[in-house]
Amino acid sequence: MAFQDNSGDIIFDVVLTDEGRRRLSAGDGTFNIVKFGLGDDEINYTLYDTTVATQNQDIQILQTPIFEAFTNNTSVMSSMLMSIPRNNLFYLPILKINEVADTQKTQFHSDGVFYVAVDANTENNNDVANLTSSIAYNQQNSLVTGVMLGFSTQKASNYIRIDAGIDNDAVPPSTNISDLFLDETSYTIEIDNRLGTIVSHDGKTRLDNASVDDDNIALYVVSAETDPAFVLVNTDTGPNSAEQVISGARSTYLQFRIASTVNLRQSDFLFNRLGSTTTMTNKGGNTSTVNFIDSLVKVTGINTGYSVDLPIRFVKL
Amino acid sequence: MASTHKFLSPNDKISTKTLLHEAIPLTGTILSGTYSDNNIKNYSHGMFQSVYDYPYLSSSANHIFDITFGYASDSGLYNTSNEQNTKKTNIYNQMAQVMVGYDKTGSIQQFDEDGNLADGTKLKENVFLSFSRLLVKDEIKRGSFQMTVSVTGAYNPGEFGKTIIISDNGAVNDYRINSPVGEYGILYASNSSGQTNIDSTMTSSTKTGYAPCGLIYYQAGVAVISGSVFTLSSSGGILSSSVDGGGSAIDFGNGFTFSDALTGSTISSSANLLRERIQNIQFNNTVELNSTIYFCRINHNEFNYSANPTYLSQSQIRVKSQASDAPVSYITTVGLYSADNQLLAVGKLSEPLRKDPTIEYTLRARLDY
Repeated sequence: MAFQDNSGDIIFDVVLTDEGRRRLSAGDGTFNIVKFGLGDDEINYTLYDTTVATQNQDIQILQTPIFEAFTNNTSVMSSMLMSIPRNNLFYLPILKINEVADTQKTQFHSDGVFYVAVDANTENNNDVANLTSSIAYNQQNSLVTGVMLGFSTQKASNYIRIDAGIDNDAVPPSTNISDLFLDETSYTIEIDNRLGTIVSHDGKTRLDNASVDDDNIALYVVSAETDPAFVLVNTDTGPNSAEQVISGARSTYLQFRIASTVNLRQSDFLFNRLGSTTTMTNKGGNTSTVNFIDSLVKVTGINTGYSVDLPIRFVKL
Repeated sequence: MASTHKFLSPNDKISTKTLLHEAIPLTGTILSGTYSDNNIKNYSHGMFQSVYDYPYLSSSANHIFDITFGYASDSGLYNTSNEQNTKKTNIYNQMAQVMVGYDKTGSIQQFDEDGNLADGTKLKENVFLSFSRLLVKDEIKRGSFQMTVSVTGAYNPGEFGKTIIISDNGAVNDYRINSPVGEYGILYASNSSGQTNIDSTMTSSTKTGYAPCGLIYYQAGVAVISGSVFTLSSSGGILSSSVDGGGSAIDFGNGFTFSDALTGSTISSSANLLRERIQNIQFNNTVELNSTIYFCRINHNEFNYSANPTYLSQSQIRVKSQASDAPVSYITTVGLYSADNQLLAVGKLSEPLRKDPTIEYTLRARLDY
């Protein structure tokens, strides 16, 4: 997309997204606009200079060129503006990946991604003794850090944890964050529906998606009230807790696993089309060649609008 | 509680209809000359000829209009020995049944000069110009059609010394609605500036200087032009003898009068001759634009904070030096959402809009259908 002409009056360029057009063409009443949100995707707030005269503080931000509208619904509105009743807030909550909780079960792989072993053969060679080409367990038969069992969801596995709160000890963990209107109680999880689905960290609860858009992005919505297996209140108020990544006031945390889809388990089609091959250390201590697909899972706090992208790699022997 | 969306109330949404007009100029050089007729497409069936705006074998070419000819089966020109006699009557009947319709007995009615089908002069020998939807869009704007044609007596391609103007003069307030295909207006021929090519006795008694010569169907995008515009008044046309160059008839082309061309030439050949006589066609089209406007009302205490990752440094707001400073955010995008949080439409501002607690905005997001 090109930049918009910003030499004259402010122009407001509105287009339907691909999902909007799809729903409009369906004619089933699903095209119904009921609310709006504001975004600031192009803005780099580090350019805001509080050390200069007021009229010059945002001069660089106001010169930021703005793209034309993308019609892909997942390509815009990645950072949203928030309404908070109070104007005197100095700190805001964030979402942060917690890799130190539950004795390394939430830690990412040293490759910087979370692996999902998509079938039983990739996980543990279908539990056949003496086979060692699988990649989810090491020679000591322990789960490899940063690898999730995408097939055996009932087995104990590594999982992802996202913590919400104010990551600054100027607002100590003992502060009740709900008093600041900054409590995060609901989350959305977006994942490519062709690759995986969301299950609870213990594998016992499977979520139903709220919708799947034209780009196969499934949207899951979870809240502390209705999904206690996924969203829990962080009651740890210790200032230096070893399992906490939020240094200030803590809100809730989200934990979940990813189950692989039947497509990935039974077919290499998507691996051939979307992925590539690489080598990983296997259970025998040697290397196995695996197919992989790199993907992103996006977690967004519904109340605060803050989001984090999680790099996920689906692998298959 | 912090929030990132604001619900639209019934008062924040309104539907409107706007008529949008574009000027469509078609110069004669496109019709005859610019592309050495590589933009002219003839068909093996020979029923009509298509004009493109570029050599039609190119994928860049757009179809702009079709030319065809027809006469009624009770026309004086009808003769089974005529070239393409059946096709010409079929064309006339097809055009008439679609645009004029049927009488109470189910018979196809003929084109009428003034739109009063009960009586009056019928247009029995016609040129039909069918404009493509690409140009017409929803309809031709009433009162905007104008066509300049050469009526020089001697055939001389590209020579426009003597011309007349065919237009739907006055059709803004004077048009007919008794057609199955919607509204239509009367086409009138008038003299070009400083010329006297139209026989004054043929002009309308109610419209001085204008001689009725055809019909234009606005929604269908079809102009029906009577053969009288290329015929001397002494032979049933509207032209004065001053245009004939000393002869007794107009050479429509290749030594043919218009009647001769209609009876002795194929439709394609006649269309070739006609194109050489068209100097200019212009009209305004109309697009009916249905819009829904969403008023995104942003109050002073809303959307002052951002979830942008650069907005915070260790959870501290960058745009503040102390807690009492007013929060500031910058709007670049407006997203319109469904109840299930799917982004259905998106609007982009051309420059960032500063938002702080001292500012309120109403952004009008208009979706056109």
